[in-house]
Amino acid sequence: MNMSDFLSLENLTLAYTKGTAVVEGLHLGVAEGELVSLLGPSGCGKTTTMRAIAGLLVPRAGTVHLAGQDITHLPANKRDIGLVFQSYALFPHLSTFENVAFGLRMRRVGKDELAHRVMEALRTVGLADFAERLPAQLSGGQQQRVALARAFVIRPRLLLLDEPLSNLDAKLRLEMRAELRRIQRELGITMLYVTHDQGEALALSDRIVIMRLGKIEQMGTPEEVYAKPKTSFVAQFMGWDNLYPLETIAGVVGLPASAGYTHASWRPEAVLIGSGNLQGRVLARTYQGQSVEYLLESPFGSVKAVVAVEQAQWHEGQTLNFALPAEKAALLKG
Amino acid sequence: MRESRFPIVMLGMALLFLVGPFVVVFISAFSGDRTLAFPPSSFSLQWFAKVLTVEAFQASFVTSMWLGVLSTLLALLMGIPVAYALARYQVPGAEVIRVILTSPLILPALVVGLALLRYFVLIGNNSISFGLLIGHTALLLPYAVRVVSASLANLSRDIEDAAHSLGANRLQTFFRVVLPNIRGGVAAAGVLAFITSFNQVPVSLFLTGPGVSTLPIQMLLYMEYTYDPTIAALSTLLILFSILFVLLTERLLGISKYV
Amino acid sequence: MLSQSPARLAAWILLSPALLFVAVFFLPPVIALLLESFHVGQTYGLQNYLTFFADDFNREVYWRTLWISLLVTLVSALVCYPAAYAVLKINPRWRGLIIGLIILPLMTSPVARTYTWLVVLGREGIVNKSLVETGLLQEPLRILFTEWAVFIGLLQLMMPLMLLSLVSAMENLPKDVVPAARSLGASEGQVFWRVILPLTREGLVVGGTLVFTGCVTAYVTPALLGGPRVTMLATLLYQKAGVTVDYAAAAVISAVMLLTTLLVNFLLRGRAVKTARAA
Repeated sequence: MNMSDFLSLENLTLAYTKGTAVVEGLHLGVAEGELVSLLGPSGCGKTTTMRAIAGLLVPRAGTVHLAGQDITHLPANKRDIGLVFQSYALFPHLSTFENVAFGLRMRRVGKDELAHRVMEALRTVGLADFAERLPAQLSGGQQQRVALARAFVIRPRLLLLDEPLSNLDAKLRLEMRAELRRIQRELGITMLYVTHDQGEALALSDRIVIMRLGKIEQMGTPEEVYAKPKTSFVAQFMGWDNLYPLETIAGVVGLPASAGYTHASWRPEAVLIGSGNLQGRVLARTYQGQSVEYLLESPFGSVKAVVAVEQAQWHEGQTLNFALPAEKAALLKG
Repeated sequence: MRESRFPIVMLGMALLFLVGPFVVVFISAFSGDRTLAFPPSSFSLQWFAKVLTVEAFQASFVTSMWLGVLSTLLALLMGIPVAYALARYQVPGAEVIRVILTSPLILPALVVGLALLRYFVLIGNNSISFGLLIGHTALLLPYAVRVVSASLANLSRDIEDAAHSLGANRLQTFFRVVLPNIRGGVAAAGVLAFITSFNQVPVSLFLTGPGVSTLPIQMLLYMEYTYDPTIAALSTLLILFSILFVLLTERLLGISKYV
Repeated sequence: MLSQSPARLAAWILLSPALLFVAVFFLPPVIALLLESFHVGQTYGLQNYLTFFADDFNREVYWRTLWISLLVTLVSALVCYPAAYAVLKINPRWRGLIIGLIILPLMTSPVARTYTWLVVLGREGIVNKSLVETGLLQEPLRILFTEWAVFIGLLQLMMPLMLLSLVSAMENLPKDVVPAARSLGASEGQVFWRVILPLTREGLVVGGTLVFTGCVTAYVTPALLGGPRVTMLATLLYQKAGVTVDYAAAAVISAVMLLTTLLVNFLLRGRAVKTARAA
């Protein structure tokens, strides 16, 4: 984190009541034009952090800087930060046009310019024909796009999105994901995206910040976080299902016993079925279309393996040999 | 499975008991007889005509109207901010505040009227009208707070946050975003309050003086001397007035869901 | 996540007009009146209360008020429970109309409502007329200006409150609880006793409190239908304050009325809250 960061959070401690802090000593820097995801399970503090950046929550300690300016105690309506809510939060009594125009009216933008910018924003999200409709007359996906247009039409320095796609069905979610990425690239807006869906974070982000219990567990590009988890929590969150204490497994698979690491983990795709120095019994065989998932019982715990259909000739109850290649292991601390 | 008829029979009887007497009043109002006898032997509009001539009714009708409008407005003006404050802020002692504001409902209205007469009007030397206004407004305040609170509870906090993030301060947010969306609740509170004030008897009972009296009280006094269907006609008019009033606001503002 | 901000100046500014209004204009007179009941000559004491209750007539009035209120509460509960149940099961198309009919009486003044009984229960009223004409009675019954007239009048006045309370409680029943009980073999009666009654108990308590306190404090009905022979607490208060101008007694009656209603409120509501917490 350095002084050229566009958004910088320093030693941020956040709490709702006089009790325990929800977020503790958070440090984070975001470069201009970046799309950074705050990823984590519910309760990890990602939404709280976002609300503090937006000005809806006053930090107990620490600072928030945006473009060099200390905005820690600036009221929410003066921060020039766009917000997109999980619930869309469209104004029910205003038309689509008026919803999008709201921020511009607050900034006293002139009539002609306002109309021009609103329609342009609506065209960007493909809803130019729906300008007169009320939110109740729009579908979920359409409401989401209006919420997005309303947030970026004011040309904010920063756009914050709180699980904006979680209320949409799977297909729509994928479409909107692509839309969001496209708009972000086109407008060059710095975006902070909160989600609990790792697939979404991987697809959208320039960088991912994994949070847990109010702290950052790991931060990096999607490739880094996916292929090189550093802690057990991150590993399991990113789908490294086979997690074992290092001392139990080290000798068996040919890994050094310590060097500061506590656990080792393998992705299900990395497990070799059919040959190897380990023996296991098939507990479950789940057909997945392109692949088959095996749940094996072994001396040191259960093992999940995913193999191509052609190689999946074993059935429940059978014993087979398998291997956990040392080079495919992720060594984890904690 | 045979379903028992008992509940619906009880409902029918209850409704008959509740509504039946109104039918009696309604029919009596059109009586052509000289005195109160039921059923009437003939029909006429004489009693409606009589109602309009009784001066006491005219004066007190005006009093009840302005009292109703004024106390409703005051109750709403004070009650809406309270409902908002309690809904959106963690106020220390919120429960105590709620009890204090609901106290007008718990205290017997008769006692309230007497207390206001004795200390506010007689000893404090204020006018009876002022006493009436205080009494009625205090009675309406809890209704206003309760109904508007229910409305606010149904309004998601998110849209206020959204308005803030778009640059609106608290005042702008309230008038542009919150108020338009609780319009129905406010209207319902207003209607409920007005009708409550208009029909109020106990508080107004003691707070009656030369030139200042509410319609229900005048009706009560009239009944002590005269025993004819004039009151039936007046009651009929008032009931029709109430129904029309509610239907009108329902049509204009759609308040039925808030009752 | 909490949706409330910590209290700020803004909150207090919003609350102050109402709080000031009640604290300055409303509460002081009432408190003063209650204090006056303890005012004996130059000092304070319970003398006024003793004097009041020493009088047979006063005791009789208080007792009458209590037992009539209790009777109204019980009867309305007995009638309204099945009636509320019927509202629940009725075709939704009619429900709006029925609720409207129940609310209608509440939108009229007690004067109008009580007046109707003068017509119906009088010597020449419908009840007597039909009883005499059909030969069931030789002479018209004396109903008006008796305790029964007051009872009937109060019952009609208060029943909507009980009915609405119970209907509201029944509407809040968990959705498929009744069909579930039926599928497990319960008869209609058992469904009512074992499922509906326990779950709507709070509605009964709320309704009962409203009805009871409403009866204790009612003025118009006892005044018009009871006449001079049937004095209730409220009419006694009016006599003392408005006619004989005995403010000491009026203050005592006010205090007694208030204490009775407060007691009922806290006893019943307190119990309901405890059982709700234990559940």
